[in-house]
Amino acid sequence: MRNAAERDRFERLMLPHLDAAFGLARCLLRNDALAEDAVQEAYLRAYRYFDRMRGADGRPWLLKIVRNACYELLERERLPGTAEHFDEDVHSSAAAGAVLVLPLNPEAAAIARADADLVRACMARLPHEFREVLRLREVDGCSYKEIAAVVAVPIGTVMSRLARARRMLQSVIGQRVRGKQTGT
Amino acid sequence: MNCIEAGALLGARADGELDPAQARAVDGHLATCVRCRAAAQSLEALARAVALACPAQPAPARLRAAVRSSLRAVDGDRGTHRVPTGWLAAAPGLAALLVAAWILVAQPWSVPPPAGTRVVYHLAAAESVDAALRTLRNHLEATPEAKVVVVAHNNGIEFLLHGAADASGRPYAELVRELRGRGVEFRVCGNTLARRSIDAGKVISEANMVASGIAEISRLQAREGYTYLRL
Repeated sequence: MRNAAERDRFERLMLPHLDAAFGLARCLLRNDALAEDAVQEAYLRAYRYFDRMRGADGRPWLLKIVRNACYELLERERLPGTAEHFDEDVHSSAAAGAVLVLPLNPEAAAIARADADLVRACMARLPHEFREVLRLREVDGCSYKEIAAVVAVPIGTVMSRLARARRMLQSVIGQRVRGKQTGT
Repeated sequence: MNCIEAGALLGARADGELDPAQARAVDGHLATCVRCRAAAQSLEALARAVALACPAQPAPARLRAAVRSSLRAVDGDRGTHRVPTGWLAAAPGLAALLVAAWILVAQPWSVPPPAGTRVVYHLAAAESVDAALRTLRNHLEATPEAKVVVVAHNNGIEFLLHGAADASGRPYAELVRELRGRGVEFRVCGNTLARRSIDAGKVISEANMVASGIAEISRLQAREGYTYLRL
């Protein structure tokens, strides 16, 4: 039950986050039409529960609802999480300490050579839970605290998940760039 | 600080999430360790690459309009219950009384008890249309008094366009007409039509257009006590 003034207030606080909401939905669903549906559904849900936002920061609160709507849609549409099952043992050059054992930096050089399409394709291969934290951090500039609120995990988990997402992405990009160079 | 400890904090350092003491300790290590410096550079290169590859893009104007219109759609049917705001301002006591009476009578926060079964069928995929229509007919055989609304969007709208026919060549319009005769309503998502540049005139006359399929489904559930069925 809302009157026009409340609706105005909701729109004033929430519509500025529409771009971030749509970006996150596209990142998770990889389909513009579904992303639009998810965002629309999320806004309706947010509107219904607007009273519960209380003092919370609007953006993470909204993005959390968008994220939930996306995951429900993925479930409902039985969409695959990624193009393929991501086996970190296969994809990453070494396990936990990969970043540390690099010789003088072929990965950074490979990443610098990677074009935007390739980076996007590689990101699309990461499982959702890794793709979403990367996007929230690198594109939306969310703090760890905000990401923790969106993804509903502790800050420590945000940190380790981001680290793992970056390792995965580095290794996939590295492989692709090297594959291109050798013509495979 | 050694390489393992520093390595675990490099991401947080790049993200500006370290407290000043930690940041100083990591920087101190980086000053002496060429490998960790390279790893830090990799992270920076990666951050730049991701930001370049995924620029923050504006959402389509259409989506903004759809969100705003769907908010209005869920608010839509409460116009008749609106408390006159002028009175509210003038006489708070009377206003409170009016609000209380309005809550008692209109019960705006509760879903009205449905008279008979009300079901909204959500059709979003072309391949599920035949099965859905079959299910719908069985549903009506079992409970002829059920009130069914079919909301079609995305690829679920095709069968409501002129000239659409099932695998046996039977025009869907016939089936839809028959179901209309049994009280079933068909609603097509206007956003889907706009997105796919389908002229509204292509929709058969037995179906009605709504601004947004999603908003319509939400509204039917939240405001009219419909049960949701996705097929």
